[in-house]
Amino acid sequence: MRKHPHAWRYLVTISVLALLGIAILVQIVRIQASPEVASVIDQGNYVWKDYFPPRGEIYDRHGSLLAGNKTVYEIGLDLTANPDMPTVLLAVQMAGLDINEVNFRISLAPSDAQYIILDDFVSADHARALMTLQEAASGDPTGKNLDAVYFKAHYARSYPENDLASNVLGFVTEDNHGYLGIEEKYDNILAGIPVRMLVPANPRLATEYPTIPPGQSIILTIDREIQAAIENILDQALERTKASSGTIVVMDPRNGEILAMSSTPRLDLNNYQSITTVFPGETPFNRAISQAYEPGSVAKILTMSAALDSGVVRPDTVFFDEGYILVGGFRIVNWDGGAWGFQDMTGCLANSLNVCLAWVSTKMESESFYSYMQRFGLGHATGIDLAQEASGRLKIPGDGDWGPVELGTNAYGQGVSVTPLQMVVAASALANDGKMVYPHVLYAQLQDGKQSNTRTQIIGTPISAETAHTISGMLANALESESSAALVPGYRIAGKTGTAQIPLSGGGYDARDINASFIGWGPVDDPRFVVYVWLEKPQTNRAASVVAAPIFKEVIEKLVVLLDIPPDAIRQQMVGQ
Amino acid sequence: MNNVTQIVQKVRQAPWRVQRQWIGLFLLALVLVAMIASLYLNVTVGATLAGRETISLQATITTNQRVNADSETKLAALTSISAMQKRASAMGFTPANPDEIVYVAVPGYVAQSAVDLSTPGSNQPPAPIILPEYTESWIDYFINKQASSDSTGGQP
Repeated sequence: MRKHPHAWRYLVTISVLALLGIAILVQIVRIQASPEVASVIDQGNYVWKDYFPPRGEIYDRHGSLLAGNKTVYEIGLDLTANPDMPTVLLAVQMAGLDINEVNFRISLAPSDAQYIILDDFVSADHARALMTLQEAASGDPTGKNLDAVYFKAHYARSYPENDLASNVLGFVTEDNHGYLGIEEKYDNILAGIPVRMLVPANPRLATEYPTIPPGQSIILTIDREIQAAIENILDQALERTKASSGTIVVMDPRNGEILAMSSTPRLDLNNYQSITTVFPGETPFNRAISQAYEPGSVAKILTMSAALDSGVVRPDTVFFDEGYILVGGFRIVNWDGGAWGFQDMTGCLANSLNVCLAWVSTKMESESFYSYMQRFGLGHATGIDLAQEASGRLKIPGDGDWGPVELGTNAYGQGVSVTPLQMVVAASALANDGKMVYPHVLYAQLQDGKQSNTRTQIIGTPISAETAHTISGMLANALESESSAALVPGYRIAGKTGTAQIPLSGGGYDARDINASFIGWGPVDDPRFVVYVWLEKPQTNRAASVVAAPIFKEVIEKLVVLLDIPPDAIRQQMVGQ
Repeated sequence: MNNVTQIVQKVRQAPWRVQRQWIGLFLLALVLVAMIASLYLNVTVGATLAGRETISLQATITTNQRVNADSETKLAALTSISAMQKRASAMGFTPANPDEIVYVAVPGYVAQSAVDLSTPGSNQPPAPIILPEYTESWIDYFINKQASSDSTGGQP
């Protein structure tokens, strides 16, 4: 056999290539199988990430933004990068950050800290200023750069209308929790929950990235134009009457939608930290729902409605007013202490006669009277979708502190406490064919681009439609007969004043200060609004007909324009066409 | 029998022929492995790039959402009631009083109602993020293909 002279070269080449291939294969298997390497790969494959989903937005009924989100920054410092602290502090100061806050945070950091948060909720303008400085200092040969400064963008609540509807909206604190009003009531659906979780760093596992849903947006029944108008009217009224506080509520009696709700004081929601100074002590955030008080004569509309509905009296029932009536052994007199002689029921309402209404309630007897009052919702929270609603108090026979005289005094709104909203809801039965509606501020929720509207709920029918029409007509006649300051030319309005004494904590009533209220609705033949006005302790006059009725008129004058309600004659003419 | 004897004879005379065949086979195997490795690398790189792009797009979406939120809030501040009232006053407008308003009956006029902020087409089911072509098996593919051809065909 003849051996090829260069055969050994082929053998060497094959051997080298084979060994190389085997070595590569062995190395691949070794890396794959090595637990040490596997753990390193696993660590590198997953990283902690923070997700800050945006909080749901709040709109008014016409889509104007009342509460939105804005970008703010958490500014941190990586201490492991050996930052030049004087440079960092100088830059922070130059960017407009609160240097005292930054120094305070640095002082709190533990000695072995690797990362500290210099400041949080820093405005975008200040953060951008610092970013510009960081860019300028980058690559400084002396090492005085800001490379160790990190920016983490996240959302913060923003209220473009500042204090508009603040009593309804409430606010959100830096920990993303809603407090008071809508923000608290719907916190669970508005809040997008911030999440910190491990996510794969491996790009091939991108499909495993979590989807954090944003908070749901909501639309309110509030009309910001009406809201702004009533806040303006209320502010002027307080200045004019020197009242200590005021409340106005506007509701659509057909469906319970709150069109506007304001009470004083109001809070700039972008500066919610000032709440303790704006609302000192026990000051309610929203008096319309949180402060119960003795409403006085506005409650007479409920007494008269109950009496008419139960058939105890009719509009033309005549009562002879002697100037007093004894109920439970106590003497009840009229607001002026006078005797008004023969009065029909409209006259009793027009002249706001306590004696007459006490006579009416005693004629009804306590069981029937209190049954009606409970059906009107007195003593129970309305269930409105706002935080911190008070329920008021209606003492009934059997309660330890109820006495027979209460049957007389409750008839004209004394000895019973209600919130303005409770009166509005009760009055909605009078304005809405006897049907009482559930009051609500939520018009709709938005989820995944779909809008689901809140449905109208009838929460009771305390009186018949016929009674509702009768009492509305009587109240409209009463206003017209007394030439009330609440009347608006061209519109037939039903309403009632209420001048109530203020009970003292030790018993008895304040001899000096009063609560002045007015409740009304219109147009009488097709009510579109119920309006409640309450002034606490007005100083210029002690009669609601003088201080509260003109405010009601101002509100109606605005409402008919903003709600496109023509004068009755024109409206009826249009309907006829 | 003679043929076999001849081949054995030739191999004995030139054994390098056998070695060349072995080398050829080895190189062929190497080329095959290289091709498979290249294909694997190509697919892996493609998947990784797609993943990187997904991450990048997610970051862009987050940034855009933030910019949108900022813009919406700024716009709302610019069109807030107080800002609009100031601008209207500066332009000489005053609030309308009831006695200044003339009502005209306009046939077909519908009064302003509350807003509807639902997104158009929100009732449609959301499109799948990953197309079925990327997840279905060959069997699924053929079944679906068959089903679609059955449903579209059959015209007499």
